[in-house]
Amino acid sequence: MKQNNMVAMILAGGRGSRLHDLTNKVAKPAVSYGGKYRIVDFPLSNCANSGIDVVGVLTQYESVLLNSYVAAGRRWGLDAKGSGVFVLPPREKADANLDVYRGTADAISQNIDFIDTYNPEYLLVLSGDHIYKMNYAKMLDYHKENHADATIAVIGVPMREASRFGIMNTNDDGVIYEFEEKPEKPKSNLASMGIYIFDWKQLRKLLVADMKNPDSHHDFGKDIIPALLNDGKRLMAYKFKGYWKDVGTIDSLWEANMDLLDKKNELDLSDPTWKIYTEDVTTLPHYVGAEADIKRAFITQGCVIEGEVKNSVLFTGAKVGSGAKVIDSVLMPNVVVEEGATVTRALVADGVKIGKEASVGNADSEHIELVAKRVKGVE
Amino acid sequence: MAKAFGIVNTAGNHIWVEGLENYRTIGAFSFLGRYRVIDFPISNFSNSDIEQIKVFVRRKPRSLIDHLGTGRHYSINSKRGKLQVLFSENSADNDIYNTDIAAFYENLDIIERMHEQYVIIAPNYMVFVQNFDALLQSHIESEADITMLYHSVDNAKEAYLNCDLLNLNKQKGVLSIEKNRGTAKNRNIFMATYVMKKDLFIELVKKARKISSMYTLPQIVNRECEELDIRGVAHRGYFATITDFKSYYDANLSLIDSKMAASLFDEDWPIYTRTNDSSPTQYFEECDVKYSVVSNGCLIEGSVENSVIGRGCVIRKGAVVKNSILLPGALIGEDARIENQVVDKRARIIHAKEVIATPEKPGYVRRDDTL
Repeated sequence: MKQNNMVAMILAGGRGSRLHDLTNKVAKPAVSYGGKYRIVDFPLSNCANSGIDVVGVLTQYESVLLNSYVAAGRRWGLDAKGSGVFVLPPREKADANLDVYRGTADAISQNIDFIDTYNPEYLLVLSGDHIYKMNYAKMLDYHKENHADATIAVIGVPMREASRFGIMNTNDDGVIYEFEEKPEKPKSNLASMGIYIFDWKQLRKLLVADMKNPDSHHDFGKDIIPALLNDGKRLMAYKFKGYWKDVGTIDSLWEANMDLLDKKNELDLSDPTWKIYTEDVTTLPHYVGAEADIKRAFITQGCVIEGEVKNSVLFTGAKVGSGAKVIDSVLMPNVVVEEGATVTRALVADGVKIGKEASVGNADSEHIELVAKRVKGVE
Repeated sequence: MAKAFGIVNTAGNHIWVEGLENYRTIGAFSFLGRYRVIDFPISNFSNSDIEQIKVFVRRKPRSLIDHLGTGRHYSINSKRGKLQVLFSENSADNDIYNTDIAAFYENLDIIERMHEQYVIIAPNYMVFVQNFDALLQSHIESEADITMLYHSVDNAKEAYLNCDLLNLNKQKGVLSIEKNRGTAKNRNIFMATYVMKKDLFIELVKKARKISSMYTLPQIVNRECEELDIRGVAHRGYFATITDFKSYYDANLSLIDSKMAASLFDEDWPIYTRTNDSSPTQYFEECDVKYSVVSNGCLIEGSVENSVIGRGCVIRKGAVVKNSILLPGALIGEDARIENQVVDKRARIIHAKEVIATPEKPGYVRRDDTL
């Protein structure tokens, strides 16, 4: 099926070091979220649902798992003829040295040859570590209607938090006249979501020049967008309404999971018209035991619940033994909470075992406790 | 290359599951929330490295075809393997002509073209796991003409009433095959699973056609018991037949028990099914769920006990679901009380406040129905 003439490139090279032990072995986009997903499922599913056929995923940090994960384009339906998900780690080229990606723009520059093979009219640049649902086809329509040279998706953030973001200052018609990275005194609350649509031919020229510039950071926010503005190009802000979360820290990852427990949560993962696709795991449905007590929870297949689960999100294959309590917590895939153990206000990393009668986390703590190592219980 | 190809066979005309079978063949019945009955035989084949699988379907194929798709989800190699659905023209005059032999005969050209030397035939209306490769090896070593799989039960008086049973001699030789008429407790229930050479299978199909248009595979095999070396092999582990409404209901509820489930599901023997990309299930503040198996994509505000909940079901505030099976997409409205029911796909219980039957005679709510 011939769809829109736009290739998507997902920047998935970041480590996400503020997620500490969660990203020791996997890159941030591969971190689990929402019971059965990985963060990168969101941009990939958005691409598939938006009718984009070709998606490049730019990987760098701890990319073995991420590479094999995203290479199976079939999971997101990106496997029709002429369609595919392509894993693009830095590679050695005939005319250049092997170089890591020096910045977000450099990651695209080093793959100009890949993009050229599809000869797209438009290039969509995405971040691999945000949680949101967005129809990029609508954004492309907006880009075309406004005869823009580049369109940047923005979201309104509370004014007091605006200085944490890259802020777009716009005229009433949505034309961007200024971009400020983390301004002390923000003039607007429109934060860049790191989602860009470019006219590919124009961007290509700019990237070629940028590669040769020794003073450049090779970054979209720091170099490319300011350069476009300096050149007097027409940059449009595309206002997004809906759920959007950058899960940079353990607290925000926990919070994003907790958001799913609300009755009318904005992300709405059960919308049949915009499904989020992920790996198909072969497990039983979840089992709820005779003594179990579940209130306000998000639970997926493969879980076994014999104890108490309140206000918590349980990922694939998590087990809660009898008499155990899981309160205000997130249990990542295959976590085992043994009999009588208690988990409070914690995020337990993949496969970690909380031993019998052990207790982790604290109801009064300011931050969420990350439990990344086995906790011994009563033997 | 595997030495055998697989056939998934349909149930005989004497088997009819009231209600559910009006809409689909037994293989396409929803089972334990996220599975279909046919996932078990096909996963058994796939896990046994038998990747040429012929699925026969006689009537109401829509749901089955939709579920099987390309067969990729069964982990069958997409080049070397193949999952093929074979139809047969049903005789409109009289259902007695619509036998499995008639279906095999109609597709005999395909069976003759298979390269594999052996065929393994398994039913689409029974739930069990079996390593077919091991069964094939024991068949070859025994030098028998036909190997038949059976399960010894001690409740044949009240259960398995529509199934065949094997009469065996002490050396496990099959003396005869007959219908279970409930006359004795201890019986060897035939699991409708055969191993034989492809050539013998073709010969039997042709022979059966000559003898009688009504002949079925078990009937022709029974007739050959004296001529051929036919042996029984006992199966161990979980075994359930879906041969009437009650057995469907009982089989689903029996697997809520985690020990029982452990006798069927093994990490090293995955049961594959088609993903539906449903989100996890959401439990709300007011819910109360005990001793149940729950699939993904549900919204649960009410009470659930001793029940199997399919994908994407909605159980509203104050609703009570007890000893019941909800097929995917069922909706139980506010304060409705459901006991001992099978609620078919997308049925909605909104206006009725009580739909109650007994465990001995469970009730059925039709597909897409609103009560």
